[in-house]
Order: sequence, then C-alpha cells, then structure tokens
Amino acid sequence: MLKDMQFIIEIEDLRKRFGDNEVLKGVNLKVKPSEVVCIIGPSGSGKSTLLRCVNLLEKPSSGKIILEGIDLTQPGVDINKVRQKVGIVFQSYNLFPHLTVEQNLLLAPMRVQKRSREECLEKAEKLLRRMGLIEKMRAYPDQLSGGQQQRVAIARALMMDPDVMLFDEVTSALDPELVKEVLDAMKELAAGGMTMLVVTHEMGFAREVSDRVVFMDHGVIVEEGKPEEIFTAPKNRRTKEFLSRVLTA
Amino acid sequence: MLFVAEINLAQLIDKYFNFKLALEFLPHLLSAARWAIIYTLVGESIGIIIGLVIALARISSFKLLSYPASIYVNLFRGTPLLVQLMFIYYALPYVGINLPPYLAGIIGLSLNSGAYVAEIFRAGILSIPKGQMEAARSLGMSYGQAMFYVIIPQAVRVVIPPLTNEFVALLKDSSLLYVIQVPEIAYRMRSLASASFNATSYTLAALIYLSLTIPLTYFASYMEKRLSRYKSHA
Ligand SMILES: Nc1ncnc2c1ncn2[C@@H]1O[C@H](COP(=O)(O)OP(=O)(O)OP(=O)(O)O)[C@@H](O)[C@H]1O
Ligand SMILES: [Mg+2]
Repeated sequence: MLKDMQFIIEIEDLRKRFGDNEVLKGVNLKVKPSEVVCIIGPSGSGKSTLLRCVNLLEKPSSGKIILEGIDLTQPGVDINKVRQKVGIVFQSYNLFPHLTVEQNLLLAPMRVQKRSREECLEKAEKLLRRMGLIEKMRAYPDQLSGGQQQRVAIARALMMDPDVMLFDEVTSALDPELVKEVLDAMKELAAGGMTMLVVTHEMGFAREVSDRVVFMDHGVIVEEGKPEEIFTAPKNRRTKEFLSRVLTA
Repeated sequence: MLFVAEINLAQLIDKYFNFKLALEFLPHLLSAARWAIIYTLVGESIGIIIGLVIALARISSFKLLSYPASIYVNLFRGTPLLVQLMFIYYALPYVGINLPPYLAGIIGLSLNSGAYVAEIFRAGILSIPKGQMEAARSLGMSYGQAMFYVIIPQAVRVVIPPLTNEFVALLKDSSLLYVIQVPEIAYRMRSLASASFNATSYTLAALIYLSLTIPLTYFASYMEKRLSRYKSHA
C-alpha cells in the first residue's frame, strides 16, 4: 500500500515561529516512498527545525504536514503513533546511558508497541549483526566509540519499523575516522528502500546517495534538484555561494 | 577572668564528661537515638514519596499541578520545622484534630522533608540532558513512560548525594521533636541533665549525633565523586 502512494510526506507552506523569530517561512516539500532527500544549507537556516516538525518534536505554527495521507497538524492526531512511523537520529546520539545496547533497543518496542521480548530480541540481533555490533549487545553506551553509539541509535530507531527515517547531522559530532562507518550504515538503509530525510554537511554522501538535494536558506527552500544538477550547475546565487564555500573548505 | 581561672581541668571534665555518669546515661541516650533514627527514616521515606510526586507536579506544564506544588514547597521551606511541629501538635486541636506526639512528629518530619526532597528531585530531573526526553518521545513513548523508564532512573543516581545530606539534616532536625514530647535524643538529654545537675548528657548527645552524621556525610561526598566520574564517561 505504501508503494502505491504517490507521496509519503507532503509538507505544505510550513511555518514555525519561536517568539517573533520566524524560522520556517513557508516550506513546501514532497517526498516519495523510498526516496532519499538530503537537506543542505547554512547554519541557522532551519534544517533541524524542519526535521523536528516532521515528527512533531516541534509544533508547527501553520501549514500542513501530511504523512501517509494524514495531516499531522490536525487536532486529535495521536502523536505517539506518528512518532513510531517516523524514526529520528540526532547529532548527539542520545542513547540512554543507564541501559545496555540491548535494553536501549528493546525498551520502546516492548513498552510502546507491546511486542514480545523474543520477537524484539530477534529483531535487535538481526539489526546489530548487520551493523557489525552484535558483540556489543551487553555493553553500555559509554563503553562504545561515537561511531558505534550512532549506529546503535540508528538501530534503536529501526526497531520501531518506521516508514520514514530522519537524520539530523548524525556524523557532525564524530571523529573523522568514524564518519564512514555511520554513512555506510545509512547507505545500506537507503539501498534497502527506506524513505530518508537527511540533513548533512557530508556533500560526498549527498552526491552519491541522495535522489534529490534540497538547499535551504533563511527558512525557505531556495533550490532543489537531482544531486548532479545542484552540485555541478546550481541556478540560485545563494546555492552557488554556499556550495563554493563548503566544497573548497 | 578570675572566675574562669578558678575552674581547673579536673572540674571541667567532671562537669562536661563525667565518666561514671556517661556510662549510666549511654543506654538511655542510645535507645533515644534509636527512636530518632526511626523517626528520621520514616519521615525521609514518606518525604521521598511526597517529594517525587511534588517534583513531577512542579515541572509539569499544567498550572493546576505546578502552582499548588510550588505553594507547598515554599510553605514548608519558608517556615521553621519548629513552627510546623507546634502547629500540628498544638494548633490543630483547636479544630478538633488531636494527634498523639509520635504521629504529629512523623507527619511534621514527612511534610517538611517532602518539600526539600521535591527540590532535590526537581533539580535531578532537570539535570538530565534535554535530548534524553526527546529521544524517548521520538520513539513513541508517552511523557509518563519517558519519565519512568528514561529520566527518573538517571535522576536517581544524581540525587543520592543530596538526598543523603537531606537525611543528615533531618536527623539533626529531629531533635526539635522534643518540643512536642517525643522521647528522642534531645528530650532525653534535657531530662538527664536536669536530674543530674551535670552537663555530661549534653556532651554525650552531641557525640551521638556526630557519630551518626559524620559517616553519612562522608558517604555523600564519596557518592558524589563516584557520580562525577560516571558523568565524565557519558
Ligand atoms: N527551541 C528554540 N527556541 C528558539 N529558537 C530556536 C529554537 N530552536 C531553533 N531556534 C532558532 O531557529 C533557527 C534555526 O535553527 P535550526 O536549528 O533549525 O537551524 P539549522 O539549519 O539546523 O542550523 P545548524 O546547521 O546550525 O544545525 C536558529 O536561529 C535558532 O536559533
Ligand atoms: Mg541543525
């Protein structure tokens, strides 16, 4: 059924204000099932806020966010249901430090989705094996490297069987030599058909993995297109300036 | 000056630490100490339950919960325990509520420590990084589930040292129970002193308090050090 849907996410004229600071000034974005969309743009342009609106960590001031045909901005929407369909991974991992890797993975599916321990454990083992972390099952987060923690965070989000995954600069806090293992996990996920919205400064990743690149500045989408178009022949002046800055840096 | 010079060391010891009297008083004061510890433990335990509820109410975004909770905290932290105990024991009878001393004492200590514990829990909960709540909620957990499974277990570690310090404070404050006729350390100390015309019971009482509070204070600072190591890891 998901595959038949034309768009899995439709964002229409989304606005978000913090006090009198309007951070999102009318964002329009449609995402197809299995599409990988990378969002790039300067600091403060509203990329994180956009992602956080999609799983309702921020409440939109106006506009529509339609997920699988349901408008999330309508009253009466079950926020906790929505969030199970939309996984998010943060720059700062946010693993639960008092729980082992296994417990981090099992907590939400068992308590929220009331799935059996055996079923969850089987799924957790499958995910961790794929991530090459099966031997870390009983470790605590502070016994793992940043790259390992971030892969556990990805696995934790996947435990809920989300239809969409959001990534907010998930490699920005990592030492350079640990970036690749996390990006590789994301590539595998993309290859598996996951719908992904990825805020990133990794232009190589955006170029190689994304179906579409979106450039944001000052709370609006300035330009979007296929990665080869955006990276080789950007049309907008601000896109050009941004890219020449980040690509030469 | 003249007066001080006339008192020699032997007399001084006899007045403040007469060994024979000390031996005689010790069992009385120790049994009183047992009561002081029981009152404090019960008061602190009920205080922890009250404190957790009040802390959760205070950080709630519902004003209907947070306002009454902060009134409670301000009321009990803004008045002396002595006045609270006297109010419960001597003032409530005017509206027909007559409580026996032990009950008035337990209620007073519990309500008082509840207010302090609430502030300790609140600070502990607020010290957990915002990302923890967000990560839990983003996995579909309700606010209550996130609090119960993610935030509170982490906050508990943070609050152990200040809770221990609060226990020490309450143990010392339990001496005020003597004003409502509860036979704890201070009460016994006074009656022994007036019966013997000697200050030994004061000295002994002070030593008993110290032997309880000093180890606890060390435990609190030891836990604090352990916790800061745990934090630098995370
Ligand atoms: N909770 C908040 N309260 C007030 N202002 C906020 C809040 N969150 C974000 N902002 C403001 O919104 C603007 C956009 O922030 P946002 O984090 O979305 O930018 P970003 O594009 O993700 O930037 P970066 O690349 O630095 O992560 C910034 O000016 C920020 O200060
Ligand atoms: Mg950001």
